[in-house]
Amino acid sequence: MQLSLNEDQTQVLDFIDSLAKPYASVPMHDVSLALESAELDQALVENGFLDVMAVEELGPVTAALVIEKLARLPFAVESAASAMVRPLIDPELPRPICLVEEGRLRKPVRFLRPGATVVVVGPSGVRSFTATEDAIAPAQEDTLYAYPVAFLTGLPQAMTLHEVDAAEVTRAWRVAIAAEAAGLLGAALASTVTYVSERKQFGRPLATFQGMRHRLAEDQVLTNTAYWLALRAAGTGDPADAAMALLHAQEAAKRVCYDYHQFLGGMGMTLEHPLHLWTYRLKLLTAELGGRGAQGLAAADALWG
Amino acid sequence: MQFEWTEEQDAFRHKIRDFLIANLPDGWEKFSEHGPASPALTAFAREFCVKLADVGLLFPHWPREMGGEGLGPWEQQILAEEMWIAGEPRGGQYMNVNWVGPTLERYGTSEQKARYLEPITRGQSLWCQGFSEPDAGSDLASLRTRAELKDGNYVINGQKIWTSYAGLADTCFLLTRTSDDRKKGITIILVPMDTPGITVRQIPSLIGEGDIHEVFFDDVTVPESARFGEEGQAWEIIAYSLRNERLGIPRFTLARAALDRAVSMLREAGDFDREYVRIEAARCAALCEAAGTANYAVVQRRVDGLAIGAESSSARYATVMAERAVCEFVVEFLPEGLAGASPYLKMHHQRGIVAGVAAGSAEIQLNIIASEVLELPREPR
Repeated sequence: MQLSLNEDQTQVLDFIDSLAKPYASVPMHDVSLALESAELDQALVENGFLDVMAVEELGPVTAALVIEKLARLPFAVESAASAMVRPLIDPELPRPICLVEEGRLRKPVRFLRPGATVVVVGPSGVRSFTATEDAIAPAQEDTLYAYPVAFLTGLPQAMTLHEVDAAEVTRAWRVAIAAEAAGLLGAALASTVTYVSERKQFGRPLATFQGMRHRLAEDQVLTNTAYWLALRAAGTGDPADAAMALLHAQEAAKRVCYDYHQFLGGMGMTLEHPLHLWTYRLKLLTAELGGRGAQGLAAADALWG
Repeated sequence: MQFEWTEEQDAFRHKIRDFLIANLPDGWEKFSEHGPASPALTAFAREFCVKLADVGLLFPHWPREMGGEGLGPWEQQILAEEMWIAGEPRGGQYMNVNWVGPTLERYGTSEQKARYLEPITRGQSLWCQGFSEPDAGSDLASLRTRAELKDGNYVINGQKIWTSYAGLADTCFLLTRTSDDRKKGITIILVPMDTPGITVRQIPSLIGEGDIHEVFFDDVTVPESARFGEEGQAWEIIAYSLRNERLGIPRFTLARAALDRAVSMLREAGDFDREYVRIEAARCAALCEAAGTANYAVVQRRVDGLAIGAESSSARYATVMAERAVCEFVVEFLPEGLAGASPYLKMHHQRGIVAGVAAGSAEIQLNIIASEVLELPREPR
């Protein structure tokens, strides 16, 4: 057992911090529902941050740390599938990577756009195809989720079948989303803490009221444990750990998204405050891989058969 | 980062398990239904801890200069986990090796160390914490039990309440008021429990026989040398010892073991194929593992020689959440477990419901997290 960051991990995270500095806050006057940056994405690719899992001394825990770190940014980055799932399937698959459960095609697909690699995972195995314009439904302008999302019109006749265990891909998928959710939980908490520490009502900061302090403290406990469970699941590679990590993250997300918008009051209903960039990503992640119930069943199967 | 135990740590865990198999009597599970402070378990622990000491498992994590094996915080954690899962056969003596001994070593006079450490290392002493009072629970600093220095002796008057182990303890780690300066007016006195003027009354409880008490001090007189630390130093000393105590009981491990036991009973009864039961069981398991990882993150800080601050309150609250979830799971899906069908589940429930109260209430932990982890502006007082 050794839970401190090693020197390599510290360096990777410090480097990401410095590279992502221009993207650490929301551009002035930007009231987008979703924020992306092609320049940030390109810089991450060029510096190899999405390929750390394959580096022997870095591995899956570092990949989870990278995903968690990037998810804290107000800019949405397709890192989870690329950094943790793609290496298991084919490290050369073109990004972004869109993971889709077989038989659940009606759901919004994050980062889906022409040129993206869509990976369909399920009983038929792990298959992929490159998304073309006709595979994507007309652009959704009215999504509330703070990710770029689109819908598939269907699956092509021909897909590439990958020689990889679908259960193993699903395990990595769970870990990747748990790590992404952990970063979103951390950023949403920090953002809320700043607001309620400054906003005054009844002559004092909102954060001085115990009703709010206790709920925020409970949210901190959930956020901290979501982080550790995600890292542990990455480190052990155990299917039960993966399912529990995502179950816990999805449970936490459900609760904090309500809390934080509540605490921000009217401001939490606006796009002037960036909170929604994290909470409305978290909300979509609560639906990933069938949601809490599906993770619960997967964890129960893995733990007790 | 490495989330697996090393071979040496695994071997250490197996050594403890082998010891438990060899030294816990037949029918132990039923026997351990007695609370950790019960006369039966206390008497058992006096023999059991001697055997533990004989094989170097009573205080292996203590430094060599204290007679320990100098093993690290991870080994202390492993030892605590295995003992707690087994129903804590050390009884109240777990406190001795977790915090009483190290606190004595750090703050005690040479006379106090000579007097109290040796019986701890022989597995023969039992301490109680004279902390809470009828009007000073979570607001501990408002305690009123007074100690007055007269002619080289402290004369103590007052009352403590909800005191674990007091019925059979040899010594009380007693918080007293020596001046009206709130926290700075509190002083620790080590009081032999057979001192004239002490009256102990057991309080019937949900959490097991002999566990909690009222303790009355009427002109209890002890020499000035019984003072532990300086006058007014108590708050600093108990902050040190409570940091150890909060991590001291790895309750999440027993919660997880109880959950596994409940699942196996449900399966035997043909009740574990219902999806909602499986999902709820998984949610409980995730909360137990979540608490485990939070606790381990704090242990790592200890390994790294870093100060342990409010992270321990966060880890402790995670444990409270896990305990609550498992207690509720058992009551909802295996109500017979608390009514004679499973001594182990009953034992867990009785110990689990204490998680949010003992060693500082869960709400106090939330206050600490709010102020010291989240650094929220403080509430007006």
